[in-house]
Amino acid sequence: MGLLRFKPIPSGRMGTLWTLSTIKNAALVEFGCMGHMLYSGVTLKHGGVNDLCRLYSTHIDETDIALGGTERLEHTVANIIKNDSPKVIFFLPSAVPEVIGTDLRALCDELQQEHPEVMMIPFGHGGFNVNQHDGVKNALLTLVKNIPAEVGKTPEPTFNIIGSCADLFRFQADAAETIRAVEGAFGIKPLCVLTSGTCIEDIERMGGAHVNLVIRREGEAAAKYLQRKYGTPYILHRPYGIDGTAEWLEEIERVLGSAFDRAFVEKERGIARSMLEPVMPRFRHMSRSHMEEVTLHLGAHADIVEGILSFGCREMGFNKGVCWCDSPDMGTDELPYYSEEKWIPAVEGLKDGLFMSSGEILEWAGRSLSMQISYPDRSWHLHPFEPPFMGFRGAVNLVNLWINCNIERW
Amino acid sequence: MFDHLKRLSAVKSGSGIKFLSPAVFPGNHCPMRIASVIVEDIRGLSSLLVGTPECATHSRLFSPLPEGRNGELHWLYVIDSNEVVFGCREGVADALRKMDRAGAEAILIIGTCIPELIGEDMEGLIHEIQPELKAQVTFVMLGQFKNVSYPPGSWKTMEAMASLMDRCETDSRRINVLGRSPFEEHIPEPAVTGYLESKELKLRYLAPGASLDDFRQAPDAALNVVLSPFAQPLAVRMEREFGVPFIALHDKYAPSDIDRAYGDIARAAGYEPDGRFDEEKRQAENIQAKAEERLKGMSFVFSQRIDMPVPLAAYLTEIGMVPLLLHIEEYYSADSAHTRKIKDAGYDPPVCRITNIAEDEKLIKELNPDICMGYFLKTDMKYVPDMYDFYGQTGYGRTVNILKRILEVTGE
Repeated sequence: MGLLRFKPIPSGRMGTLWTLSTIKNAALVEFGCMGHMLYSGVTLKHGGVNDLCRLYSTHIDETDIALGGTERLEHTVANIIKNDSPKVIFFLPSAVPEVIGTDLRALCDELQQEHPEVMMIPFGHGGFNVNQHDGVKNALLTLVKNIPAEVGKTPEPTFNIIGSCADLFRFQADAAETIRAVEGAFGIKPLCVLTSGTCIEDIERMGGAHVNLVIRREGEAAAKYLQRKYGTPYILHRPYGIDGTAEWLEEIERVLGSAFDRAFVEKERGIARSMLEPVMPRFRHMSRSHMEEVTLHLGAHADIVEGILSFGCREMGFNKGVCWCDSPDMGTDELPYYSEEKWIPAVEGLKDGLFMSSGEILEWAGRSLSMQISYPDRSWHLHPFEPPFMGFRGAVNLVNLWINCNIERW
Repeated sequence: MFDHLKRLSAVKSGSGIKFLSPAVFPGNHCPMRIASVIVEDIRGLSSLLVGTPECATHSRLFSPLPEGRNGELHWLYVIDSNEVVFGCREGVADALRKMDRAGAEAILIIGTCIPELIGEDMEGLIHEIQPELKAQVTFVMLGQFKNVSYPPGSWKTMEAMASLMDRCETDSRRINVLGRSPFEEHIPEPAVTGYLESKELKLRYLAPGASLDDFRQAPDAALNVVLSPFAQPLAVRMEREFGVPFIALHDKYAPSDIDRAYGDIARAAGYEPDGRFDEEKRQAENIQAKAEERLKGMSFVFSQRIDMPVPLAAYLTEIGMVPLLLHIEEYYSADSAHTRKIKDAGYDPPVCRITNIAEDEKLIKELNPDICMGYFLKTDMKYVPDMYDFYGQTGYGRTVNILKRILEVTGE
C-alpha cells in the first residue's frame, strides 16, 4: 500500500477479527504481539462491541520467534478452557507468525486432540496481500463450514441473516431493522444473525432456516455453501429505501413461496411516507431547480453506496455525484474503487450536494459527522439502538440527515 | 503458580520479565502507541510510521490527524507482501523524499514489528538518504516482540531526539528539565523547578509539549535535571554525546537521597543551598520514621500502573517492608542499583507482567499480601490505588504523599 495520509484498507486479519468478535460463547486467540488485540478491543468497544466473544492474545517475543516456540499458545488455550469453558476457540492469524511461517492450522490440530471437548477453528487469510473484505468473506465461510449442525428444516419458516459484521457502521441497528421488516412481513423468526448478536448455538442451528438473507457480498460464499449443504436458498440484497425494502420483501416472498402480510408493508410504507412528507416539497424543488444541492456523493462499502444511491436516485429524484467504493476488489466502471490518492482531490473538489462517507474523511473535509455511513472514525458508538440506514426506518433516517445537511449548507 | 517467574536479581532488561498468567486479556500497550502520542505533541516534528495495516490503523487512535497544527506531517507507510520478503527500503526512501518536499522539518521514523522482524536497516537508510533531504531524519524501532510494553516507546523515542540536536556552546545559566512538559497542567510542578527559577537559572522543559527547536538547542545546557524514567536514557545519551551532565530526581524516594541530589544540583548550577527545602525534608523524615515503625514487616505486591516499581520497592524495603511480587512494566538499566539494595536487604522477589488483571488478581490473593499497590479491577485485598498519580512528581512531597496513602490504607 505504501505511503498514506489516512488509515489503510484494514488487513484480512482485522476483517476476520471483526467478524468473529460478536459471537458469544466463543473465545478468540491471536498468536502474536498483544498490542494488536488490545487496540482491536478498543476499536471494537468504540463500535459498541464489548464482552461478546472473549478476545485473547498470547503475545510473542524474540525467543519464540528465534526458536519457533509455541508453548504460549498451548498455555493460553489451556487457561482459557479452564477459566471460560468456551464452546469454540477461534485461532486468528497474526502478522509476525505469518512472516515466520507458523503453521497455525497444524498447531490447532494438535491442540484439538489435547482438548477434544472444545471445537477449535483456525482462520486463514492472514497474508499481507489479503484485505479486510477477503477476511470477512473467509471468516463467514469458515464459520458455516465448521459450526452448523446436521439439522432438518424448522417446522415453521425461519431465516438467517448473513453478513452483519462489526466492520460496518451501525451494523447492529441495520440488522435490527432488517429483522423487524422480515418478522413483520412474514411473521417468521431469525435463527442466526451472522455475526452480530449471535452465539455458537445460533450458528449451529443455521441449517434449519428456510432462507438466507445475505446483506453484503462477502457473505455470498457462505450462503452458497449453505445452499449446497442444506439446500437453503439465499437472496443477496442490502435493502435501502421505502420501495427498495418492499421489493426486497417481494424477493423473499418468491423464494420462500409464502405471501407476506400486505397490510404490514403498506402500513410501513405509509408511516415512512408521512414522515417524509414535510420535506418532500423542498427536495422536489431542489430536484427541479438546484440539482447540484441534491447530488449524492458517497464513499463507503460498495453495497452501502449502491443501496443508498439507489434510494436517493430512484425514490428521491436525486442525482449521482462522486461515488466510490472502499475495496479494490469491488470496483466497477459504475462504482470505482478510490484509494486516498483519488478520493482526496475528489473530496476537495466537492462544493455542493450531500456527501456521506467515513467519519475519518468527513472530519478531515470539515463536514458534519452526522453524514457518516462507514468506518473508520474516532467516535464512540456505544448505543446499539441508533437509527438504521437500511429498511423502512433507515429511509426516514437518511432523508432526515439529507434535509438537515441541506439546511446547514443554505 | 509462581515458579515460572524470574527473581528480580535475574532480570537484566524488560524482555526477561514473564507474564503472571498466559492468556493475555487485554494486555499491555504497544510501544508504538506512546511513540505516536509523543511525536504528535512535539511541535515541528513530523513522523512516518512503518508497519502493517494494523499498526497504521491503530496509530490513528493516538495520532488521529495526518497533519498537525504547525504543518507537521504524521504519515503512514504500509508494507505490502512483496516488501515483507524483499524489504521496504526503497518505498520508505521515496516516502521520506515526498515528506521532505511537502515541507517536513524533521522526521521521526517509527518502525513497528514487521520492519524490525525483517531486519530493515533504518540507520543505513537514513545515512544514505539524509544528504538528499532538507529535513533531518531519525528513527526508533519498536517491534513489540522486543519491546514488550509501552515504556520503550517513550524512552526510545525521547532518546532518538538526541539525533536531531545541534552541538552548541554551553550556557552556564541554562538547565534542561527532562520529562516535564512546558505546558504541564495535570501534574503539580515539582518544588525544585520553581526554586531553580528563583535562582535566575533559565529552564528548558524537554518532553512532549516542547518544540523541535527546544530539542535542537538542548545541548547548550549546563545540566540536565531528570524527572521521569522515560527521559533518563536521553540524559545518558546527551551526557555521552554532548557532555551535558545529569542528575536524576525521579528515582529518589528516601529523604537522604533527595537531600543529596538537591545538593548535587546546587553545586552543578553554582548556587549555595539556602535551606529552602529543610521544612519539607523534616516532614518527610517524620513520616518516614512513622512508616518505619508501623509498616515494618508488612508484605506488599505491586500491580500495574506504578511508574518506577524497582526504585519504589527498594525504598519500601529500606523502611522495613517485605516485597512479595512486583509487576514491572520496564526494567531500566538504572534499576540495577535499586535491585542490589533489595537484595542486600535480604529479598529477591519474583517479578512479573500482569496482562490479565481479572485472573491475575486471584493468583495474587493466594500470596496473602498485607497490602497491594497499583491497579486492580475489584479486590477485597487492601490496596493503594492510583499510584500513577505520582508520575512526574519528585522530591520530599512525593515521598510524604506516598507514605501517607499507604498508612491510610493500612489503617495505621
